Order: sequence, then C-alpha cells, then structure tokens
Amino acid sequence: MLHVTRLAAAMAGLTTLLTLSTAQAASVATAHGEVEVPDSPERVVTLYEGALDAALAVEVTPVGAVTTRGGDGVARYIEAYLDEETRPAIVGVVREINLEAVLAERPDLILAAPQLSDEQYTLLSKIAPTVVPEARELAPDNWQQEARLFGEALGREEALDSAITEVEERASALAGAIAEAGEGGSANLVRWMPQGPLVMSDALFSTGMLAAVGLEVTDAGLVSPGGAHSDPLSLENLSRLEGDWLFLATLNEEGDQALDAARQSAAFARLPVVENDRVVPVDGQLWTSASGPLAAQAILDDIEAALLP
Amino acid sequence: MAASGLCLRPRRPAGLWRVMILLLTLLAAVAIVSLMLGAGEVTPGRALAVLTGHGDDEATFVVGALRAPRTLIGIVVGISLGLAGALLQAVSRNPLAEPGLLGVSAGAAFAVGVALWLGASAATLRIAVGQVGALLGCLAVLSVVRLRGMGGDPVRLVLAGAAFSALLASLTSLLLLFDQRTADEIRFWVVGSLAGRRLEDLLAVLPSLGLALVIIVAIARPLAALALGERVASGLGHHPGRVRLLVILAVALMVGAATAVAGPIAFVGLVVPFAARALAGPDIRRTLWLCLPLGPLMVLAADIISRLVVAPSELPIGVLTALLGAPVLVAVVRARRLPTL
Amino acid sequence: MNMESLERFTPWRSILAEARTAPAEDVLPPLGHWRLAVGDISLLVERRALWVGALLLLALLVVSLAYLALGTGRLTPPAVWWALVGHGDPVATFLVQELRLPRLVAAWLTGAAFAVAGCLMQTLARNRLATPSIIGIDNGATAFAVASVVGLGTSLAPPAMALVGAATAAAITFGLASGGDTRGYRFIVAGIGIGAVFGAVTQLLLAQVPIDSANAAYPWTVGTLNARSGGAILTLAGGCAVGLPLALVLARSLGNMRFSDAIAQGFGVPLRRRRIQVLSLAVVLTALAVAVAGPVGMVGLIGPEIARSLSSSRGVPLIASALAGALVMVLADLVGRLLLAPIELPVGIVTAIVGGPWLLWILLRPSRNPA
Repeated sequence: MLHVTRLAAAMAGLTTLLTLSTAQAASVATAHGEVEVPDSPERVVTLYEGALDAALAVEVTPVGAVTTRGGDGVARYIEAYLDEETRPAIVGVVREINLEAVLAERPDLILAAPQLSDEQYTLLSKIAPTVVPEARELAPDNWQQEARLFGEALGREEALDSAITEVEERASALAGAIAEAGEGGSANLVRWMPQGPLVMSDALFSTGMLAAVGLEVTDAGLVSPGGAHSDPLSLENLSRLEGDWLFLATLNEEGDQALDAARQSAAFARLPVVENDRVVPVDGQLWTSASGPLAAQAILDDIEAALLP
Repeated sequence: MAASGLCLRPRRPAGLWRVMILLLTLLAAVAIVSLMLGAGEVTPGRALAVLTGHGDDEATFVVGALRAPRTLIGIVVGISLGLAGALLQAVSRNPLAEPGLLGVSAGAAFAVGVALWLGASAATLRIAVGQVGALLGCLAVLSVVRLRGMGGDPVRLVLAGAAFSALLASLTSLLLLFDQRTADEIRFWVVGSLAGRRLEDLLAVLPSLGLALVIIVAIARPLAALALGERVASGLGHHPGRVRLLVILAVALMVGAATAVAGPIAFVGLVVPFAARALAGPDIRRTLWLCLPLGPLMVLAADIISRLVVAPSELPIGVLTALLGAPVLVAVVRARRLPTL
Repeated sequence: MNMESLERFTPWRSILAEARTAPAEDVLPPLGHWRLAVGDISLLVERRALWVGALLLLALLVVSLAYLALGTGRLTPPAVWWALVGHGDPVATFLVQELRLPRLVAAWLTGAAFAVAGCLMQTLARNRLATPSIIGIDNGATAFAVASVVGLGTSLAPPAMALVGAATAAAITFGLASGGDTRGYRFIVAGIGIGAVFGAVTQLLLAQVPIDSANAAYPWTVGTLNARSGGAILTLAGGCAVGLPLALVLARSLGNMRFSDAIAQGFGVPLRRRRIQVLSLAVVLTALAVAVAGPVGMVGLIGPEIARSLSSSRGVPLIASALAGALVMVLADLVGRLLLAPIELPVGIVTAIVGGPWLLWILLRPSRNPA
C-alpha cells in the first residue's frame, strides 16, 4: 500500500503543478495499482518500444522516447510514422533512462515497460502518472493487453481497438489467401548464432502473428516453459526443426548474410526446409523484440512478401 | 634434499613415457566417448556402428560431420591452451600465469564487441576478429613481461591480469550501452563453446599453430636453462631476452588461435600445466610433453559434460572449465608457500 | 624503548587522538606536526594531512554544488540554494531534492566506502592493485543481482540480492583461504578465482533470458547511480557511520603492518587477528556500496591512489582516501550525465575509462617502487 500513499502524495503535490489543469477522470489498472491519468494527455513520454508503437498507432506522437539501436533513433519500422517536426526527443537508452531529460519534457503521462525497476517507478510517478503494464508470462496476445492499457491511458481506447481489429482482420485475410495458395503448413522462428541456433518460443509476439495467419508454429519442444527462446541448440538437434517454413531472424540489416553463414553449416544445409528453399530471413529487431499494432502490421508485411510473392 | 638443488636432472616421479602412454590411452578413450555421446538422438550404439563401418545415414552424418570435427577442434584447442599456459608460467616463473586470467579472454571479447559494433554480425563473425583479440591478448602478455621486475611475487601478476580484464570488460560494457544489437549478440559469444565450429575454422588457424610449435621446439632447451637462472642460461650461450620474446610470440599465436575458434575458455592454461608439473616434476620440457595429452583430455571431458548435463541443449564449456579451474587456483595458493617457478 | 621515543619513531597517523598523561609542554611534536591541546588531552595533527584533507573537502563541496546545478535542466547556484531549502520553483525543487540530492548522497557514500575499503586492502596486501572489487566481491554481487532482475527463483529485490551475493562471494573466499597467510594473498587469489566463476555464471544468465530482461539487468553489470534504492543507501550510510571510524582505529596498526611482519609484531600488533579484522571491514564496506551502485570498483583503486600521491609517504591516508573516493565518484557521475546528454553514461563506465589508463600506467611503468 506504500505505492498508493506515495502516489497520492505525488498526485496532490507535484503532478498538479506540472501538468496542465486537465480534469483527471480516467483511472487505469497498472502493475503499481490504479493510476489516475489526465483526460487527453498532450505531452506523453514513452520509455518502451511497445508503448511508442501503441501511441503512434492511435496517432499520438510522444514528446519523448528512448532509443532502440545505435544510440541515435527509434526502430526502423517506426521511422515511417514520424515526421521531422514532431519527432520525439530522446530521453535515454532502454538500459539507462535519463530521468532529468524526462522531467525536462514536462510530461503529463509516462508509458513504461513491465521491466521498469521499482526505484525508477517511484521517481517517475512523481513526475507524471506512470503507466506500467503488469509483467506477464509470455503469451502471444500479451501485446494486445499492453497496447490496450496504453490506449486506455491515452484516452483512445476505440482507436486502439480498431487498430488491433485491423491487424486481426488483415491476418485472417492473409490466412485465407495463404490457404488458397496452398502455402500454409508449419513454421519455426530461429535466430542463427555461431554457437548454434536459438529456437524462439511459440508464445512470442511474432510467432503469435505467424499463428494468426494460419501457420502452425512449433518450438519443437525445445523451449522451457516461460522461456523466450531455447539455449543455443546443438547442431545435432537441428533435424527437430521440421516446419515447412523457417523464419531466420538476424539483428543485422543483411539478413542474407546470416542465411549464407547458416548454409555453410552442413547440418543446416541438409534440413528439408532449406532444400525446399523455404527459409525466410527477417529483421530480428522487429521479429524478436518489438511489439504493438504497428509492429504487427510490419510483420504481416514480411509474411505477405515471403509467402505470397 | 640439499643435493636436489644442485642436481641438473630432476628426479623422475614415474617414468615419463609410462605416464605419457597412460594419458594417451585415456585421451583416445575420451575421444571415442566424445564421438559416441551427444545431445542428439544418435545413440552411442549407433555411433559405435559408424566407427566400425556399419552405421546408418543419419548416424554417419552426425558422427562424421558434427562430432568428429568438434572432437578434433577440442583436441587442438586443448593442446594450444595447455601449452600456452605452461610456457607462460615457465617464462614468468609464476604458477598462476594463465592466459585467461591475464586478460586474453577479456581482450578477445572486447575485440568481438568492437567488430559487432562496427556492423559485423555474430552469425558471420569468425576467425579474423579472434585474431584481433589475440593481438589484444598479446598486449596483456607483453605487460606481463614488463612486470617480471616484480620478481618472486606470483600474485601481483594475477592481480594485474584481473585489473586488466576488468578494464576491458568495462570498455565492452560501454559499447553495449549504445548498441542494442551488439548487446543482444555478444551475450552469446562471451561464453566459450566448441559447438557449431567448422573444420574450416580450424584449418584457418593451423598455420599459426604450426609456427608456434616450431618456436616451441626451438626454445625448449634454452627455456629449461632459463629455469636455472639467467646467469646459467647466459653462461650456456642462450639469450634470455630473446627466448622470452619468442615464448610470448608462441603463446599469443596459440591462445589467439584457440580463442578465435572456440571463444574464451578460461582456466585450461592453469589446470593443465598444474597437473603436468605434478606428474612430471619441474623440468619444463617434460611438462610440455605432458601438456600435449592433458590439455585435450580436460577440454574434451568438459565438452562431453557440457553436452550431457542440459541435453537437448548445451551448457557452454567456458562455465564448466571455470568451475573446474577455480578450485585448482585455490589449491595452488593454498600450498604451504607460494611456489615460484 | 620508552613511550616517548616510540611515539617519535612510529609513523602514527595524523588526526588520531592521543590521550596523554604527561604535561603537553614536555613533548615536542614530531616534525611537520601540530599539537592541539585541550586540557590533558592533546591531538597530534600532521600538517600536510590537514591541508590535503581541507583541499579535498573544498574540491568535493565545489564539485557537489556543480553536481546539483548542472544537468539537463541547468540551475544557478542561488536557484540550487532555494531549491534545497524548498522555496524555489517546484520543478527545480523536485529536480534538486528528488533527483539530484539522493544521487549525490549515494555518490558520496559509495565513493568513500569503495575508496576506504580499497585503501585498507591495498595496505594489507602491500599492493595497490589489491582492491576488493578486483578480487571477486563485485562479481558475486553482480551475479546475484542479475539473477534477481531476470527473475530466477527469488523474490528478493536486486539491492538485497547484491548484498547477499557480495556476502556469499566473500564467505566462500574466506572459507577457501582459511588459515590466513602473510598479506592476505590466499584471500586475494581465492577471490579472483571465485570472481571468475561468478563472472561466468552472470554471462550464462544473461545468455539465457530475453533481451528485455538482459537490458533490465544491465545497470547491475556496470554500476550506476541512476534511481538507486533508498533502503540500500540508508544501510550504506549506517555502515559508513560505523565502518569509517573503525577503519581509522584499525589504521593505527595497519600503518605498522606496512613494514615487515617482524617489525609489525615488534610494535605489538596482533597480526593474524588484525588482518582478519581489516579484511572483514573492507569486505563489508564494499558489499554495502555494491548493493547501492553495483560494481564501480575502479573507485577503490583511484581514490586511494589520489590520496597517496597527495599525502606524505607515512601512514595510511584513510580520510584523504574517503574524500578522494567521494570526489571521484561525484565527478565521474557528473561527467557521465553531461557528456552525451540526453543519454546518460553509467558512472561505472566513466570511472573505468578514466581509471583505465591510470591502471595501465601503474601496470606498465618501470617498477621504481614495487608497490
């Protein structure tokens, strides 16, 4: 209950001073209890890629965000949704949030990741209402619950719901087209590492999208319950990857390079899926760590391009 | 006991060749076990059938294309690390001088971090970067030579190595702060492993290993003389400075090659010479001979365990050797007084 | 040897109070010292130590003021003052009181604790590289804290786990090195071995979790002062309040232990017991500091180094070390906050980059004075 009292104190004190005097009507359920959020927040700071994605999906451009790669910007698929004038200011990297930079943006709402530490939450919640999703066991539809929470906090539940519905509709349309083209079947998502491939769990956001278009995703029983991926897999067990499609994630732009590297391994080259040329190199940044409606659309783009050329 | 100090040929604990043959037999047995066991579904029985020439396709592929190269690489890595440790310890007269403890592993990890940061992908990253790591390792080792002025204080050297490692680790962390992708990939690289290495990797480092072996053959005798003291060595017509330089070159070549192929594997260079000295007595030439079978023995044994404990996945071998090596490290220091070599 | 000549002969550390029964005017203060006398009690003060202490304290205050004033939001010194007393602009007050001041206090305390622990252990081992962080205590804390962050079988918060980890590493090391030898060498080497094992465990943990969890664990692998746990800071404050005076008391015999064992024993130092006490104190201070900031071990090296280069060669410069450690920590964190704004560099990285070349210099320079 400490949180609630702290929160109340923060609300009464600082927040009112910092935020515009908006009516505080809405209240959302977060990992740190009920949090009151302003009606239509105008200065939003996102400290989590999923939150940035959800905000942009409902056409709220945050004033501040954390970088994802290379220290200078947001994820590649996000770029298309930003224009130069309203670009969010960078308030740190995922690994080290700059609290002063957050404060400098004078936010009236902060959207953060489930992994946010308690100490950071304590400070952030004094700057502005901070919405942290409950940390959940991995599940393919976690992103929907997180996005809905962010949508609710932004006061745009309907817009967000329709964004999710759009994703679902497009997925089922794709599923129909894929079935019609006879390209369906089973699939594995794998990250290729020199020590051996990592088989990604079937409970991830991206594997969930694969399932949504009618592919049967398996982790070949290699991922321990609750884990995001297997340990580096012994090459001897590669033959367990029996899917009709193999999505090969790489964190580099040059996905083909990873594919080339993989092909040089005898154990990989003799997989049926490789011999049938059904290996799809994909952007690992998008496929293994992003989440949200926009990421979903981007993943569906990849799937459509690969399966329905 | 008073005479032993004057005796140029130290006592033989048990005939060197008898020990050698015993160890080689043991190594052959471990190598066969390494071919027979694995995380996959090819059972020892099926693998044995392959060895006798009657295996099925799947088993032949797994044994021939996967387990055999891995075993071979394990043997080469073991020899390199064992010899490098013994040499470094002889030349620095310090039983704790282990390439990994002195910062070579951290140097290699840093080099890989820089390469990843500059845009390489872990999936395509191979030998070249490992060689850069070796260069950094050289730097560490060179600093060791300067430290020889510290004389009979083995712990100073290890402290210097630990400090050097800490420094490089921090620099690696700096890269990781900015670059998510590097951060995501390097965490899999910094734990050494024999899994998924190709024979081509081994072939790429064979020339440098050959060169290292030639150097070792050439300097074995002066090195043994050096063990008796600089004056004795000079008196016998050797050049201590030159010998030391050659030793460091050989060590850098070997450790660089092993790290490039398998990633950082700590403590092999400590445990193997420790055991070899225990079996062979103080003569560096006998120690080097015994390192030849002992190094692969340790690496292969650790590798086999790493394949089995968390099957169907694999535990990184670096973690196992660290667990194995720490007690030996302590044992060396717990000896009544710290031996200087 | 009577008391008086022993007094002259012994390099007593400066600011220690010496109660005496003899009339003050009978005894001349040793060269370079002042005697401050109040009634029967007189205090022997080394002048140079006093100057060094004052200088470091002044520098610390100036840097601390800069620390409070500079950052993403800049404040003038008067604004800092008004924010401190709570009469300023609410945003500035929040900035100073909630964000910067706790962080500054954490920097003071961790810097002082790391540096004092480093100084104690360096003196004991007669080796300036022998700091608690290098011998595995940091690694133990990191491994446990990372395990907590990535959610492995524990409900303890990361700072508490870091403390447990540091204690575990130290306990194993003590166990392995039991019997105590000259200069605590066994302890150091056992610690390096344990540190290597914990380091391997940390890397294994990081390789097995999703990148989001690995990111969340990152601060604990480098050391940072950003949003630290209040409870851990309070615990450290308590630890410093007890530990620093204790260190000063121990430093008296430590000063004698810089000489050979025979001389130290001649001074009546109970060597074995004193070694264990000094080691324990260094370990406890480090563990408490690591629980706050994570592994910022380099401060334990830099702080005493600065102190020693400023102080005279006699004695163990504990107070100067504490001040210098705090100074380095505050300065490093300030630089980390400003250098690449809006991106913050964790303080552990700044100290490593600054301390690194220094370290290399210690390693590589010709060993004039092999310490």
